[in-house]
Amino acid sequence: MHRLKVTSLVFVVLLTATSLFGCQPAAPSATTEEKSITIIIPEDPPSFNPVITDTGYDSLVMELVMLGLSDIDPEGKVFPELAAEIPTVENGGVVADEDAGTMSVTWKMRQDVQWADGKPVTANDVIFTYESIVNPETGGWIAGIDYIDSVEKIDDYTFTINYNAIYPGYLTQFGGEQVVIWPAHYCDAAQGFSAWECARKPLSNGPFVLSEWVTGDHMTFVRNENYFEKGKPQIDTVTVRIIPDKSVRKTMLVNGDADLDMWTTEQMMHDLKDEPNVEVSLSPYNRWVMRIFFNLAEKGTTDPVATPHPILSDLRVRQAIRAAIDVDTITKEFFLDYAKPAWTEFFRPPYECDNIERPKYDPAAAAALLDEAGWKDTDGDGIRECHGCKTAEEGYVMEMEFITYAEYGEQLELTQQLIAEGLGKIGIKLNLTVVEGSVLWGASTDGGIEQSGNFDMDIWDDGYAGVDPTDFLWSYYSTDSTVPDVGYNYGRWSNEEFDALLGEVYTLDENVRKQKFCEMAKVMEAELPDLLLFTATNGDAHSVRLQGIQSTTNDLVTWNAADWTLK
Amino acid sequence: MATYIARRLLQTVGLLFILSVLLFALVNLAPGGPLAGQGQSRHIDPAKIELLKRQFGLDKPLPMQYLIWLVGNDWMKVDKDGDGTLDSYGTRLGILRGDFGFSFRSRQPVLTEIGDRLPNTIYLTTVTLLVAALIAIPIGIISAIRQYSTFDITVTTFSFAGQAIPEFWLGLIMILIFYAWLKNPFTGEPLLPAGGMTSVGSAGFDLGDRIVHLILPVATGALGWVAWYSRFLRSSMLEVVHQDYIRTARAKGLNNWKVLYKHALRNALIPLITLLALDLPYIFGGAIFVEFLFAWPGMGRLYYQAALNRDYPILMAVLIIGAGFIILSNLLADIVYAWLDPRIRLE
Repeated sequence: MHRLKVTSLVFVVLLTATSLFGCQPAAPSATTEEKSITIIIPEDPPSFNPVITDTGYDSLVMELVMLGLSDIDPEGKVFPELAAEIPTVENGGVVADEDAGTMSVTWKMRQDVQWADGKPVTANDVIFTYESIVNPETGGWIAGIDYIDSVEKIDDYTFTINYNAIYPGYLTQFGGEQVVIWPAHYCDAAQGFSAWECARKPLSNGPFVLSEWVTGDHMTFVRNENYFEKGKPQIDTVTVRIIPDKSVRKTMLVNGDADLDMWTTEQMMHDLKDEPNVEVSLSPYNRWVMRIFFNLAEKGTTDPVATPHPILSDLRVRQAIRAAIDVDTITKEFFLDYAKPAWTEFFRPPYECDNIERPKYDPAAAAALLDEAGWKDTDGDGIRECHGCKTAEEGYVMEMEFITYAEYGEQLELTQQLIAEGLGKIGIKLNLTVVEGSVLWGASTDGGIEQSGNFDMDIWDDGYAGVDPTDFLWSYYSTDSTVPDVGYNYGRWSNEEFDALLGEVYTLDENVRKQKFCEMAKVMEAELPDLLLFTATNGDAHSVRLQGIQSTTNDLVTWNAADWTLK
Repeated sequence: MATYIARRLLQTVGLLFILSVLLFALVNLAPGGPLAGQGQSRHIDPAKIELLKRQFGLDKPLPMQYLIWLVGNDWMKVDKDGDGTLDSYGTRLGILRGDFGFSFRSRQPVLTEIGDRLPNTIYLTTVTLLVAALIAIPIGIISAIRQYSTFDITVTTFSFAGQAIPEFWLGLIMILIFYAWLKNPFTGEPLLPAGGMTSVGSAGFDLGDRIVHLILPVATGALGWVAWYSRFLRSSMLEVVHQDYIRTARAKGLNNWKVLYKHALRNALIPLITLLALDLPYIFGGAIFVEFLFAWPGMGRLYYQAALNRDYPILMAVLIIGAGFIILSNLLADIVYAWLDPRIRLE
């Protein structure tokens, strides 16, 4: 009897103790006149510094509190944030020596921007940010950082960046959706760019100020009274809640408990179409291109010259595969029309090329191409074998592995299955595999499938961020990038003409750049190193009362949070 | 007893050491790695990979990485800036001195990350287990003493269902019913919140608000436990009531209640309490599905995310602390059993 009493007493004490443990610090209570909104996202941002992790969630909250020198609007136009104007050759901000291959860019900054503690944002902060990034021990890495020789201060609001190359990506190098300027007087240089505390407790110079962060649960932002654009922002409080399950997020939107869902899935956009309280903002342009990577080297190897792929190294086979994929059915049935066909890397501004015709879906032509290439089904099992093909031994069976990654979700797996079905009809047998992203894209030393060349065909999505495709093209298509763990030229495609064109786009002449890019498109179309299929539409669902939302692929939906209003 | 406990604790240390080697190897050798692109990027630039390898300590051979994880690197010079020369002493202390490293994802100390999540998980799981036990015990008793009654048959049916229904399905249905469909008749608001631990923006500690937020996750999490514990107690109770000493107690004229409570239940509870002790690691590990569905910021979600991102330091810390919990719970179960049942001797 006595013992049981003691046990129950212990339980009661335990219960009380744990409920106190779970108690969170008190938050300021909301008044009714306050204009507050709730954004729902599936996981916690790791910090406010997307350079370190690039999860998208870090960029989302970063855009609420921090400013870069410049940013990109949904149409692909670069606009100044901390900069007074965008430096160009025309306005004298950029001085380039095309012969020597060097240039210097002089940025003039706004003089009316302050940190939330009242101190001005100056060139010292920019130089501090640059030096923190390039610190070899505690620093980070941003695109084109190796092209910078030095950053010189001219006066408190003017500085010059000296480049050892012509680098067209300079426009958003210290801006865009990733890079912001950090406060020199607030961040601890000893902790370093990659791990400093100010990345989790940021000092704001943007429209909002972080007031509370309960890890894994929610973040609260309040209006920055010091924000430089007068009368903005018009929202008083922004709460970012972490809601991992997407059907719960959908229900919260419908119930009016949430105002904005970031990166809404196609299924959810479709389901929310007729909800009276919810609207979906679609990005005017898409970024992510669903594509098939061909391994031009034999599975398990990375040298297409020494060990060419027995099936895929023949261009006609790659063309046949393209003709046998029904892109329209995929975009309609699985992506519910929230996707557009794409067949070249250059499909969005500022570099759109119209010199490539959209490929036709034509299974009969595909079968004819395979016959011509020497792949025929003579034993009647529905799968072709090599009978006179140039790339494999006589009798080699046309069977390959076709891999995709799990995190994308059901649509991609259905797409994978439909493609396999289509190719099966023309006699190419595909065995389907689904793996985790970290296994697909891991370093070759970690057993990464792509880097170690351990695949035949893969399907997944990528596309360049921002307005400069140069780095992206270099890392996916150049000969330099065929080396495992150096680039992502996973098919190990190598083409001298392409490499030469790539060398020529490092210029500031926009007309030359566009012309070269379109020439590249032709080379790629002729050789089909990979197969571009379609782009998924970027959309963000929001409540009708929240106005001013404009989805964009050039940034996160919070890019214009200062302009949002509440109806 | 004291020697026994001391010996078992000593064994625990050895066991944990062997486990740590195995886990470290498994976690690191599993395909995929922390240097794969994630989220917005499908890849990381080679220059950044070099930097990250250095910052994460992945540039060293695996046995060396294990050694540093265990005992730190403040006793050896390391190449911090990647210029090929060993320039200064490291800063890691190793887990033996309480340094579990930092998360690859958030760059926060692992213990900070766990410290943020653990109280939330303990809070939810303790309540869940308590509620489960409080419901399961009376059900188990009544089922046993009214064997094959309508109550027993109904409860048996529901127990099978309770164990068979997957948590993620049940949770979604709960949210659909109590959040999406049913409204509070006075305010017009949803009857129960869809998730979270408290209402965002609520000031201070509000018991009512906390209870409201607990109902759905606890109900979802407890159902399986209720089914499991009540079945267990039922069979344990049935075994006891057919013992000779129960018949003796009845024969000497004790009233039925006293027989059941004082003689039968107290003996039938012994195995259940052992079972509860064995289930204690759940309090540390949390329930991934419940945390995921009800947006509960706990250990389960932390672990799941770390597994997806190959956040080795977090994974290792959760696994090794979890392993310690399991070993200690087993020890605790043995001790409690001996304490409750004087016939058991631990040697």
